[in-house]
Amino acid sequence: MQLSVNGRRREVAYPDELLVWVLRDELGLTGTHYGCGIGACGSCTVLLDGQVARACLTPARAAAGREVTTVEGLAHGEQLHPVQRAFLENPLQCGWCLPGHLMSAAALLERTPNPTDAQIKEAAGVNLCRCGGYNAIRRAVARAAELKREDG
Amino acid sequence: MKPVTRRRVLIGLGSGAGLLVVGVPLALNAGRPAIVDYIEENGTGPQDAPRNPDLWFEVTPAGVTFFVPKIEMGQGIHTALAQIAAEELEVTPEQLTVRQADTARGYAGGTMFTFGSTSVKALYRPLREAAATLRELLREEAARQLGVPATRLTAAGGSFFVAGSRERIGYAQVVAGKQGEWVIPEATPALKARREFKRIGRAMPRTDFRDKVLGTATYGYDARLPGMLFGAVARPPRFGARLVSASAGAAGRQPGVVRVVIDAGAGFAGVVARTRTQARAALPSLDLRWEGGTTASSADLDAQIQAGSGSVLRRRGNVRAALSGGTVVQGEYRTPLAAHAHLEPLAALADVKAGGRIEVWASTQYPQMVIDDLRDVFGKDREVLVHPTQLGGGFGRKAGQHAALEAARLSAAVGKPVHVGWTREEDLQHAFYRPPTHHVLRGSVDPDGRLRGVEQFTAGGDIIWGQTGIPEFVRDALGFDPGGLLGQFMPYDFPAYRVVNRREALPVPTGYWRGLGVLPNTFALESFMDELAHAAGADPLAFRLQHLGSGEDGRRLRGVLERAAQAAGWGTPLPAGRARGVACCLDLGTASALVAEVSVQEGRVQVHRVTVAVDPGLVINPDGARLQAQGSVMMALSSALHEELTIQDGRVVESNFDRYRLLPMRDAPPVEVLLVESGDEPQGMGEPVMGPAAAAVANAVFTLTGERLRTLPLRPGQG
Repeated sequence: MQLSVNGRRREVAYPDELLVWVLRDELGLTGTHYGCGIGACGSCTVLLDGQVARACLTPARAAAGREVTTVEGLAHGEQLHPVQRAFLENPLQCGWCLPGHLMSAAALLERTPNPTDAQIKEAAGVNLCRCGGYNAIRRAVARAAELKREDG
Repeated sequence: MKPVTRRRVLIGLGSGAGLLVVGVPLALNAGRPAIVDYIEENGTGPQDAPRNPDLWFEVTPAGVTFFVPKIEMGQGIHTALAQIAAEELEVTPEQLTVRQADTARGYAGGTMFTFGSTSVKALYRPLREAAATLRELLREEAARQLGVPATRLTAAGGSFFVAGSRERIGYAQVVAGKQGEWVIPEATPALKARREFKRIGRAMPRTDFRDKVLGTATYGYDARLPGMLFGAVARPPRFGARLVSASAGAAGRQPGVVRVVIDAGAGFAGVVARTRTQARAALPSLDLRWEGGTTASSADLDAQIQAGSGSVLRRRGNVRAALSGGTVVQGEYRTPLAAHAHLEPLAALADVKAGGRIEVWASTQYPQMVIDDLRDVFGKDREVLVHPTQLGGGFGRKAGQHAALEAARLSAAVGKPVHVGWTREEDLQHAFYRPPTHHVLRGSVDPDGRLRGVEQFTAGGDIIWGQTGIPEFVRDALGFDPGGLLGQFMPYDFPAYRVVNRREALPVPTGYWRGLGVLPNTFALESFMDELAHAAGADPLAFRLQHLGSGEDGRRLRGVLERAAQAAGWGTPLPAGRARGVACCLDLGTASALVAEVSVQEGRVQVHRVTVAVDPGLVINPDGARLQAQGSVMMALSSALHEELTIQDGRVVESNFDRYRLLPMRDAPPVEVLLVESGDEPQGMGEPVMGPAAAAVANAVFTLTGERLRTLPLRPGQG
């Protein structure tokens, strides 16, 4: 089976396994993190056709025919995505939850370019941060919206 | 700690000209006398390339690289230490490349062990001395190359500038042009005074974060080698159960399985497969018989943890007399068993060469422990190389790290690298935990509102003893666990005080959890201080201030209390249905005070705003310190509002985050951090601020509802 990941066609040998393990262990895209396996922590959040999905609940096969975007696919070459730049300005601590927050925020800003604080909180949803960086996450997402508007 | 003297600096010239390596063995603990002996016997010099320094710098024509002995688990330690080094080295952050030391060249031992908020505190001086020594070596050589006196050279931005001229020479150029031997200065160069600091105390970008936003940072779970396989390991059905018989059963015939590895004597049964999913799926097909173990439940643990007797840790004045008068107050507090719940579960990759070197990439706070574990199994003389990776949280749990040993056992059996990454269920159900505690407090206040005395009984499960091989009779003779002492003593000035502490070995593994005793103890003591204040009819803030002593501790606590109270608007009106609570804490040299503003809605505590003032002596990186404080407050709130592990029939009931709830974004209040600097030496920053949040919230709930919540997690209306 083939998957389209970050704009590249990739051959997948274990299509019945969960997307999180196929991405990480088979395709070497370890930026998508495993945290719980039940969709309760958000560390494995990826985009499927631009919509947030938990890679720990999604069989790889279910992503066939859809565009999978992972944290490794956010930047365009050297040009970081606004959410990446915003989190560089507002770093978290360990960063294990970060790819999930980056992907959730990227999806949020696509549909809501000027999110309110309540919408930012809502979009973070189940995405946990055990290091307690929630204040920084709110600042970063708000800042990412600014940066994205500046980018045009 | 010994200063960095000539005899304690190692210098190496590497493989030819153009490389200068300066390394420093710190002798932070007694666990490494051989290296120190070696230096003292042999002296130093170019013939002694640094073999096992704790930290070292490499200067090449490409720049300066700083090898850091401490492990980055999000606390920003690489950044803070780089900042300290850059200060004396006179380089910009961009000119300093930071790399994690590994155990091949860095000494693992105590220095790499990253724990107890000790990293900055312990390395602050020796790191500056090492960096200054390196700078002076370069200065002498620069002077020689330029043909000017060294005193005419000013170091800045990785270059030396010649006074009164436009001439300059970069460090790299100095090293490239070096001929002959480097000569170490006889004395340690003078260190900068605080007023001269250009980098310490200012914001600096995190050294680890660009890789993290790109998704390319390597954590233990991410470690990869060509040809690697994946492993999974069978876990006992209850704590303490022994594997009495084991065979492969049908596991070897499951899809993708490469090898079943059984060492029943060691209680080990695991599977190696082509994918992680296959390895895990094959585990239930192993034919395993477990016996014994505990059948304890939470109620049994609570029954075992009973304050009321034990070792007398502090005694002043006559408590009996103090409690025989005035208004007597009694409070009994409990905190539950809790998990670390670091979001990256335990993970390691091991590559065991037959009869040869064992190489490990692991999420570990304690590389030496990994080495010891591996040598216990594979032989005392076995060469072991540990690469500490980035850690996706640690909080003490990754000080005990057996995934590396599991991966190594499996790798040895298949002759290929094997990765073992725990599931969340394994991580929550087969860990060690923050032990439950019980606190019984009695105190008395005079009619004029003065605290007469306090009698304090505490009991808790083992913390440090729970994770070390100290025999039970030694622990029993001592009577208390040193970890339980953090936050154990009321920092107030009053005539009579008696503290009695009791430790218990529980049938469930217990150990280090961020801050050790500081959260449970501060919850109990600062809640009780609030009860005393109300009994005295006093404002809780004023009552605390009134009972602080005139010494340094009292002065620093007063400073943070006043700062937090002012910023939080203590005493000013709040909207209906809200109240404030205050608590403070002095731990590991750092004073903190916290004001929480809460409401209670449908039996749930909502924290709307937190103001915390923190005095860690000297702040290295204000951004990092704020993140540490905010993170501590959030983790403490999570503990105060949600977290409790239940034991049933010798097992942990909560297997994942659907049952073991952590503070989510929607419940996370704004946390304002006010940094107070009252000293010239940095103190602990990773854990002390775990102390005050739980009590401040409980105190606010009391002010709001009149209900005193004495058990964590806080559940209004449920006792």
